[in-house]
Amino acid sequence: MQEDGLVKGEEFPAADPSQDYSIVARGLLKSFGKLKALNDLSVRMPRGTTYCLLGPNGSGKTTFIRAVAGLLRLDGGDLSVLGEPVHSVNRVYPRIGYMTQHKALYPDLTLRENMEFYAGLYGIEGWERDERISELLEMVDLADHIDRITGALSGGMYQRLSLACTLIHDPDLLLLDEPTVGVDPILREAFWRFFDGLAERGATILITTHLMDEAERCKIVGYMRAGRMLAEGSPEDLKRLAGLRPILRLWVKDPQASASSLAADGLEVEVVGGVLQVRIEEHGRLKEILEGVEPSDLRLVEPSLADAFLRLSEGGSR
Amino acid sequence: MMGPKINSRRVLVVARRVVRQLKRDRRTIGLITLAPVFLMILFGYALSGEMAGINLGVVDLGGQDALRDHLATVDDFDLLRLGSESDAERLIVEGRLHGAVVIRGEEVRVLLDGSSPQITASIMTEVKNGLLPLKGLQNGGRMDVGGELEDVEGGWLGGDGIVGGSSGPGGLGSDGDIGICAALGGYGGPGAAPEVVQRYIRGYDLEMMDSVGPAVLGLVVFFFTFITAAISFLRERTQGSLEKFMVSPLSRPEMVAGYLLGFSLFALLQSATTLLVVVLAFGVPMEGSPLTAFGVILLLGAGGLVLGAFLSNFAKTEFQVVQFIPIVILPQVVLSGVWWPLESIPAFLQPISYALPLTYSSDALRAVMLKGAGISEILVPDLLFLVGFFVLAFGAATLMLKREVG
Repeated sequence: MQEDGLVKGEEFPAADPSQDYSIVARGLLKSFGKLKALNDLSVRMPRGTTYCLLGPNGSGKTTFIRAVAGLLRLDGGDLSVLGEPVHSVNRVYPRIGYMTQHKALYPDLTLRENMEFYAGLYGIEGWERDERISELLEMVDLADHIDRITGALSGGMYQRLSLACTLIHDPDLLLLDEPTVGVDPILREAFWRFFDGLAERGATILITTHLMDEAERCKIVGYMRAGRMLAEGSPEDLKRLAGLRPILRLWVKDPQASASSLAADGLEVEVVGGVLQVRIEEHGRLKEILEGVEPSDLRLVEPSLADAFLRLSEGGSR
Repeated sequence: MMGPKINSRRVLVVARRVVRQLKRDRRTIGLITLAPVFLMILFGYALSGEMAGINLGVVDLGGQDALRDHLATVDDFDLLRLGSESDAERLIVEGRLHGAVVIRGEEVRVLLDGSSPQITASIMTEVKNGLLPLKGLQNGGRMDVGGELEDVEGGWLGGDGIVGGSSGPGGLGSDGDIGICAALGGYGGPGAAPEVVQRYIRGYDLEMMDSVGPAVLGLVVFFFTFITAAISFLRERTQGSLEKFMVSPLSRPEMVAGYLLGFSLFALLQSATTLLVVVLAFGVPMEGSPLTAFGVILLLGAGGLVLGAFLSNFAKTEFQVVQFIPIVILPQVVLSGVWWPLESIPAFLQPISYALPLTYSSDALRAVMLKGAGISEILVPDLLFLVGFFVLAFGAATLMLKREVG
């Protein structure tokens, strides 16, 4: 099951020679006791993209990020990060921004002091540092709080400051483990615009999440399950791959009768809560359907990425 | 593998952060500076009696007019003139005198009821002061009598009267509770300065505060740095900054070194206040260089810090860190000769004593503060052990940090 460069299961497409990859992983293995956290995981992340790792809890997302960060000893497989083999990944640490699920902030310092500390670790000093700090705090909408004690911030503010600290050295590779937890939708939108901007300038952004709407914002989505990559591609590709089509919801006088007549025509139909739902295959049949049932109202529902993954997971477990 | 070279700028960045954090933590600052003061005062009074109204016998058999006149001017002393040394001894045993000074020509003997270190210190200080105009005692007025001691009746209680008997025959308290410690001076021939001789008539906790003070100084600093470092490193781990450091240019040695630098400032502050209380309020001498004493304290504190950093790996919560206290701190309190000399510790426990850093810091601090020892005199084994301990714990701490986190 492979089309449009999509990967399914163990298949790993040949590298595109014109592409510059920030992360190349092949056949990664990592076990914690009996648990296979990474089970022959292969993935390639082109430079300048936003790549989202999606998957249920325990699917190996965080394990993979930590492997990329050089924090794990892999049981097997090849991994290179920014062109550096993972055992010497510390050479590229100055170019990596890593945000863990923990906030990694000092609650007894002010926002400024927290950021100055991280700036110092990367050797950013003087006016350059001050400029960078105010720019980033502006981005995460915390500029007014710069001299507040960090411990007094709310959970979402904490998260935003943590992100700002991660970005302090303008990294080429961003590893963000669930960065938008507790961030409101408006600000989340701002984050995504910022990430897109970074990606356009050539940075690679790897994000884990279990929020589908967030994954939809990424250029590439990889769906992980039980330590392996189940599916990978753009959100649209994945939906198509899952064989998902839009659903037409129709309000009709007698849903049951209409349903059986449409089903007789070979359409995929069901009645949910008194509403007739038809899965559209070809646009040509739309007119035929509408004329047949004469709905009083109708609505077209696009399939979500969640539906796609639900489908793909079912397929994968079969 | 991390590079072995240490970037001093990043070390400073970490140190600065540590200082900023501690500076903001007023309670900890208060604890650092006031707790030792409180502790020392508590120890000081618990270990001593009243300071004024000391009943001092004087047996004047001629000579040392300056000393006799000086003693008469001390307000704290109620002088009682006595005919013989044995009278004085009897009165001390009966508890009617705190001590007596026997002046016989070139020889000065001080009989002491050793049960009150405060009084003992006070008497000895004044005797020294009285003799000060004479040459010979001016170089610090040390009371080294060592091998020239003469066994009078009981066991020897502390060869040199201060550091806890290692040089005199017999250990501390070897002969029951009434020990008599005496020493004779005046062997130097005509013109030589009189030597002060101490005789302990009763008790064995000679100059408790003098002997305990320097050691407690080390204990307090070690305890503070150990516990604060262990909790700080635990927090670095639980709040995720440790993992973040690992994916940054900051190396583990740089991180530990930064902590060392930041903490040393507070260890200095703490040892300074403690030292002031010990020296000023309790009259514990500072014969050697305070800088050498600070050096020893800082070295010990550095050891406590890296040990805390190392052991924090074995704790998951701050509550568990606190549980290290009985394991790490208590044995040092009991076995490292802070309160009583190592010789009084059962032989089978002594190997443990000699593996504890506080044993060496106590010895070194006593040598510096009481005997005026310089660095060369405490180098072996004290400083060497402390340096070795530090290096070992530093290595262990950085190695543990290298391990996979979580």
